[in-house]
Amino acid sequence: MTIPDLDPITLDIMWGRMIATVNEQAAALMRSSFTSIVRDAGDLSACVFDRRGRMVAQAVTGSPGHINSMATGMAHIVKEFPIDTLEPGDVIITNDPWITVSQLHDITIATPVFHKGRAVSLFANCCHALDIGGRGLSADARSIFEEGLFLPIMKLHEAGKPVQPIYKIIEKNVRTPDEVVGDIHAQIIANEVGGRQLQSFLQEFGLDDIEAVADAIIERSERAMRSAIDALPDGEHSFALTLDGFGEPIDIKSAVTIAGDEITVDYDGTSPMVDLGVNVGFNYTVAYTTYGVKCAIAPDVPNNAGSFLPIRTLAPEGSILNATPPAAVAGRHTVGHFLPSAIMGALSGILPDKVMAPGADSLWNTHIAGHDARDDAYFSYTWFSTGGTGALKGQDGLSATSYPSGVAGVPAEIIEALTPLVVRKRALRPDSGGAGEHRGGLGQVMEIEVRTERPYLFSGLYERCTHPAPGLDGGKPGMTGAIETSNGEDLKPKISRMLPSDTVVTLHIPGGGGFGDPMKRSTDAICEDIRDGYVTPDGVRRDYGLEPS
Amino acid sequence: MRIGADIGGTFTDVVLVDDQTGGLKLGKVLTTPGQPDDAVIDGVREVAGDVRAEVRHLVHGTTLFTNALIERKGALTALITTKGFRDAVEIGREHRYDMYDLRLRRPEPIARRRHRFEIAERILSDGSAREAPDEAEIRALARMLQSQEIEAVAVCLMNAYLNPVHERIVGEVLRGELPDLPITLSSDIAPEIREYERTSTALCNVYVKTIAEHYLGRLEARTKDVLQDHARLFVMQSNGGLLTAEQAIEAPIRLVESGPAAGALAAAHYGKSLGLSDVLSFDMGGTTAKACLIIDGEPLLAPEFEVDRQYQFKKGSGLPVKVPVIEMIEIGTGGGSIAEIDTLGRLKVGPKSAGSTPGPICYGQGGLLPTVTDADLMLGYLNPDFFLGGDMALDLDAAGDAIAEQVGEPLGLDRLDAAFGIHQLANEAMASAARIHAIERGRDISEFPMFAFGGAGPVHAYGVARILKLPQIIYPFGAGVMSAIGFLTAPLAFDFVRSHPIRLETADWPSVNRLISEMEDEGRARLAQATRDADITFRRTADMRYRKQGFDISVPIPNGELGPSSVPGIIAAFERIYETLYGHTIPDTPIDVMSWRLVASGPKPELSLPVGGAGDRDAQKGERRIYVQDRGLIDVPVYDRYLLGAGDRLEGPAIVEERESTVVINGPATIRVDHNRNLIVDLEPAP
Repeated sequence: MTIPDLDPITLDIMWGRMIATVNEQAAALMRSSFTSIVRDAGDLSACVFDRRGRMVAQAVTGSPGHINSMATGMAHIVKEFPIDTLEPGDVIITNDPWITVSQLHDITIATPVFHKGRAVSLFANCCHALDIGGRGLSADARSIFEEGLFLPIMKLHEAGKPVQPIYKIIEKNVRTPDEVVGDIHAQIIANEVGGRQLQSFLQEFGLDDIEAVADAIIERSERAMRSAIDALPDGEHSFALTLDGFGEPIDIKSAVTIAGDEITVDYDGTSPMVDLGVNVGFNYTVAYTTYGVKCAIAPDVPNNAGSFLPIRTLAPEGSILNATPPAAVAGRHTVGHFLPSAIMGALSGILPDKVMAPGADSLWNTHIAGHDARDDAYFSYTWFSTGGTGALKGQDGLSATSYPSGVAGVPAEIIEALTPLVVRKRALRPDSGGAGEHRGGLGQVMEIEVRTERPYLFSGLYERCTHPAPGLDGGKPGMTGAIETSNGEDLKPKISRMLPSDTVVTLHIPGGGGFGDPMKRSTDAICEDIRDGYVTPDGVRRDYGLEPS
Repeated sequence: MRIGADIGGTFTDVVLVDDQTGGLKLGKVLTTPGQPDDAVIDGVREVAGDVRAEVRHLVHGTTLFTNALIERKGALTALITTKGFRDAVEIGREHRYDMYDLRLRRPEPIARRRHRFEIAERILSDGSAREAPDEAEIRALARMLQSQEIEAVAVCLMNAYLNPVHERIVGEVLRGELPDLPITLSSDIAPEIREYERTSTALCNVYVKTIAEHYLGRLEARTKDVLQDHARLFVMQSNGGLLTAEQAIEAPIRLVESGPAAGALAAAHYGKSLGLSDVLSFDMGGTTAKACLIIDGEPLLAPEFEVDRQYQFKKGSGLPVKVPVIEMIEIGTGGGSIAEIDTLGRLKVGPKSAGSTPGPICYGQGGLLPTVTDADLMLGYLNPDFFLGGDMALDLDAAGDAIAEQVGEPLGLDRLDAAFGIHQLANEAMASAARIHAIERGRDISEFPMFAFGGAGPVHAYGVARILKLPQIIYPFGAGVMSAIGFLTAPLAFDFVRSHPIRLETADWPSVNRLISEMEDEGRARLAQATRDADITFRRTADMRYRKQGFDISVPIPNGELGPSSVPGIIAAFERIYETLYGHTIPDTPIDVMSWRLVASGPKPELSLPVGGAGDRDAQKGERRIYVQDRGLIDVPVYDRYLLGAGDRLEGPAIVEERESTVVINGPATIRVDHNRNLIVDLEPAP
């Protein structure tokens, strides 16, 4: 079957079925995962690939970092194991950060699907393992060797038989072997669920493989992305974001060039790698770049190999966005999450109606470990918190909402039930949203106490404490983040510290940037904000030049 | 005798059942949106006629509270919460429900920030009180509420699911100060962990409480007026159990999904009467389609749902409500779903809907965008002269022209192929949603018969079942009054939940037993008004998990005294369910119980379906040209549903017309009419 044979309705139906198979794959994975970040927050990806390793469809869930990194990573997997060398029952595993998701915690499992005796497709999914050994999910490592177990592209099952040594190595190198291996099983089952649906689909439509359908899907998506780019005027636009970094600030420089129906994002001039774990593997840089471009110019175009083609990403080797082995990368999201904002900032001049101002962008990642006096046991707990997103033309930013990551937060009662922590406050942070015709989203305040009699370990991976989220189009920056302690303990945003047991830590999470001149904000909107306490009278005087009555 | 009454968008359906003879009498009156109880009472008069004195129960479900929540027409509502937490309900899950849409908005809490107040108090995560609330502070707050003309208050304090004492103090002091103010305590309505969901539940409940008081109070009085003083009003809950009107007024949020729940109950009941224990119930209406899995004769339940999903029915775009509900997957595909060509030149059907105004083009009420109903009409599936039994004439030409122009031309298809494309894509979307829902619940539905109802359900069921490769479809007799029939199959029931986490191996069983018997006592007390003690059944379940897993599954727990010797049985039950859901169990991992649940039910009413005789005349009305895949337009017989008799056998393709819907068999099948006049359609196995 070739493309011209497919009438448009049949193609639409087949396309829908491809998406349905990966949604089923994702549903199976989310149901059986051990890891709440996978199950509750949907921090995973599930995709189907054709014989050439091109992503044809992604599940409508997950995070862009996982989806797009895996999409581009598959080329390496089919290079290592050419599709026709695979056998039914083979399962491939890897967490190679340089070619997949730029973090050892993210394990990709790929499974070939056979039809009429021939490999016709690969189903793959990627999700975050609860543990991978090493220093855990922190930026503390100096090189990847300290970050845990590295799994190169390998067959985890050969023709249906588990390769036991790999399982044994995993079990002995992670702190929570049951959960980690359990999740790998869930990943394998999810691919099987998707694969069975694909086989049934091929049979129903009398197809030998999905190549022609994939061609049609990829070609149409590519064409749609190209025409969205083509509609923009040619030109080069640049933007620079400054992050706090470690001691030294990190500059992210983006130059976005639109030429005809192609777009190039070049990060030349961006700061070099650092010797802590916030370096970003290039594949992850590409993932958040294509995601940012898509959000700004073509949110409706399906996300697959075709829509990636007209978008080129460049980052100098050795820069923090194209880190080379053995750089440490466990905290790569701390930097990678800023890329959509770097792109939108650049495009704001030509697409003021589409882009969103930069927000907190990077999740605040808090890890606390210590002694729980209640049952004389040690505890260790990590969670993510969100700040405000940036404003858009015509719309205020969202308060305490994750972007670009899709991760969900944790209820205070769950934190308290699982740990000796007491969350004393969890509130929106007045005045933290950048002023503008449209206000940035508010960050939040979290006040944390630990019920313990011994010193405890606190480590945070926090950004935007010295460099705020800038506004766009005359909008003002959001408020920077801060950490405060009840007893004057000096706590730094990216350094782990032991704190006296009675230390209460308060996190002030940053707000998003505003959009448009604050002087143009409607008085009504300002008054409503005052009544709801999203801004204070002092803030209004300072940011909007108004005297609240 | 009992009466079931369901208020729909257009009609209010009323069904009288004579429990002695099993006879059913159906009535239909126009809905009276301004005062919906008018139609109910009219309908009751109509069906009860001169046997009014013998009717003991009126069972009712209503979307009144759902509508008030969706339209935000409830009370001006305030929240009282623990110091430091007034924003928990706005911070929510910190999550975006769509990955690419930068302009999405998160659901707005029922109480605006200016109406959310804090008091100093704290319960810790072990249930102990660190700081007690200060009554003076509460009294001062009461004055503040009054000055702001607050009309309803939800109280949700941190960790109150473990220890409700502080919430009760707040409630008592407030009631003392403001006796007329409706108040809902989170520990009463949803004593479960997760402050955002619990707060949201309490807010939604109190937001519609005044409406419930007025409406249900008035309806109960009028029920007694029109029937007899001893006649009682019962109300359907979202989980398929009944409440007395008095209980419902305290917890109106429990009624929000009662209509769809009743449909699923009816499907379960019909399934049972046919000897089918596993059924896929499929209900397609004007704006959405709903599918529900019925397993072992019971609809699956879920512990929470969302009201008012504002964004393409996406999870996360609505307000969470933690009350038990018959679990449905709902998607934005219905008769009014709009078909359009997207930026990629693809045909998309839904979730945009023409709704009831302007509605489909063929209604001639100003609709300009082609809908699923327009396509169905083009394809010959609907009879332009017999829509709603002939009450509404449909404009075939206008529908066809719009489909040709807006869908056919851009795709290079003639109007019929374009219309069939719309029909098929609607079917694909519904089939895919149903299958994913089944996977999420660990079920393989490929052997499930489908049970089709709703205005558009019988039109599309055949196509959906073919995609899912289901063996059989059942088109119940009385599909138009399914919810009203469902009400009559529901038992009086109340459910309870207590969060009380234990480790199975070290559980303090006496305290667990105490807690369960408290719930049983409460159940007996609540049911006592209408049920004899001996007729009460208790069903216990526990929310259980492998330690460190982030989610619970619901596991049946044996009745009677629990102790260490119960543990192996509980573990076995847990593992059996875990395996059904996830395909495997996890060896050597300890198991915890998080919460204990109890459902106390009265007896399940018997309802026998009316038996129909053999047809005494030819049921074929004529022939109609309809579109059949791979065959094009062909003439097929059209039957009158009301003239088909038990034992009749037909062949597909065929059309069977009834008042509220049309059964469309647009492909090969064998059709028989069973002794209850249901159509049983066997699909041929796929080639």
